[in-house]
Amino acid sequence: MTQRWKVAVDKRVCVRTGLCAASAPEEFELDEGGQGHARSETLPASELVLEVAESCPIEAISVRDADTEERLFPPES
Amino acid sequence: MTRNGTIYWDPYDPALAVDPYPLYARLREEAPLYYNEQHDFYAVSRHSDVQHGLADWGTYSSARSDILEIIQADIALPPGTLIFEDPPVHDIHRRLLARVFTPRRISTLEPRVRAFCRRALEPVTGAGRFDLVEAVGAELPMRVIGMLLGIPEADQPAIRDRTDETLGTEDGGKINHEDILSTDAFKDYIEWRKRHPSDDLMTELMTTEFEDEHGVSRTLTDDEVLTYCSVVAGAGNETTGRLIGWFGALMARYPEARRALAADPSLIPNAIEEVLRFEPTGPFTGRYVTKDVELYNRTVPAGSAILFIQAAANRDPRRFDDPDRFDIHRVTQHMSFGVGAHYCLGAALARLEGRIAAEEILERFPGWDVDWDHAELAQTSTVRGWKTLPLVIEGAR
Repeated sequence: MTQRWKVAVDKRVCVRTGLCAASAPEEFELDEGGQGHARSETLPASELVLEVAESCPIEAISVRDADTEERLFPPES
Repeated sequence: MTRNGTIYWDPYDPALAVDPYPLYARLREEAPLYYNEQHDFYAVSRHSDVQHGLADWGTYSSARSDILEIIQADIALPPGTLIFEDPPVHDIHRRLLARVFTPRRISTLEPRVRAFCRRALEPVTGAGRFDLVEAVGAELPMRVIGMLLGIPEADQPAIRDRTDETLGTEDGGKINHEDILSTDAFKDYIEWRKRHPSDDLMTELMTTEFEDEHGVSRTLTDDEVLTYCSVVAGAGNETTGRLIGWFGALMARYPEARRALAADPSLIPNAIEEVLRFEPTGPFTGRYVTKDVELYNRTVPAGSAILFIQAAANRDPRRFDDPDRFDIHRVTQHMSFGVGAHYCLGAALARLEGRIAAEEILERFPGWDVDWDHAELAQTSTVRGWKTLPLVIEGAR
């Protein structure tokens, strides 16, 4: 079975680098104001999505398992 | 500063280094779109204009650089400069570095950054007076960048001096565009590093495969690696050093804030954000206008140079309550690291270095003043901060 993730961008902290949409254009897009968001409510789990979340310079992107709600990124500290 | 009642702002005026804020406030209120005839550039200063403009790379391009005199020189810039590129090429190049500069990877450097900081402070511990810029500001970022790039410690000061000299301008001077493109400082290392790969950024840059803008999978050329290294060194040394200087100066000016931080170091990360808002080391950023834009009922023609004054935006009362008050408890989203595609790649590193320097300084010296008569403030065409900041330590004898 394919695991699915809920990927959310925190609009309060997003600084519009556009890196998410540039790195993974099939998973992320930018709104009119230049802030990123996932293209659909859930995304198939992938290394790429995790890498995009980790590479966001202000860690505005969080990733959760869609079924279990377990937070995958940023890891619980 | 004003001629016949009209506002005049000369970004090359060295007299403005001391306190540019009253003039920035006038620009923001009276000339939200400013045009300077002498140097032929436009400028915006309100928070919403700076935020919107810096995020709009399609209209405001970095392809001719982000420094006014380089934009106007209209010279060919090599690939891999990042700062002087637009998407999509910029994003391809940035992604190669982005994975090294993620907040998480940067946080793993903390023990090494702290060790460098302690070593820098060791010679001045117990001193009654020392220059904070010389001891820590010029030392810590150089060691950290040198470590990241894999430059042998003995050679790190020479590399720093070379890159600082390239970006340095005196008394309202301008940057020489041949200097800024020089990668000589790193040429000696790349051949050697090829034969001695290690766990550093230069090795990673030489060996990482990526897909370039033509869809070709390859590694970076030597020239591109050299450009990357020069950009990282140029962007990461003086800026962070100036941040540490501003911390020292503001803590002397606002001793109640300093006492609060010494008593509760958990407040330091937020205080660093306020230092960045209040005294950004890079006060403004240049762009090249690619198409006619309407701003405040005037047309800024395609081909113009424009400056986005982040130092003015950071004190816009439309965005920040009581903006001229330094408040370490303020929750702030400043413009000092920029916004958009060029949001500072090294932001997490600068924050880490700033926090560690603050923690280590406060632990050793809970109180200090500055010998203001012998302190020296400088503004180049890219950064503003203390060149010399003699601290006088409280209770030392």
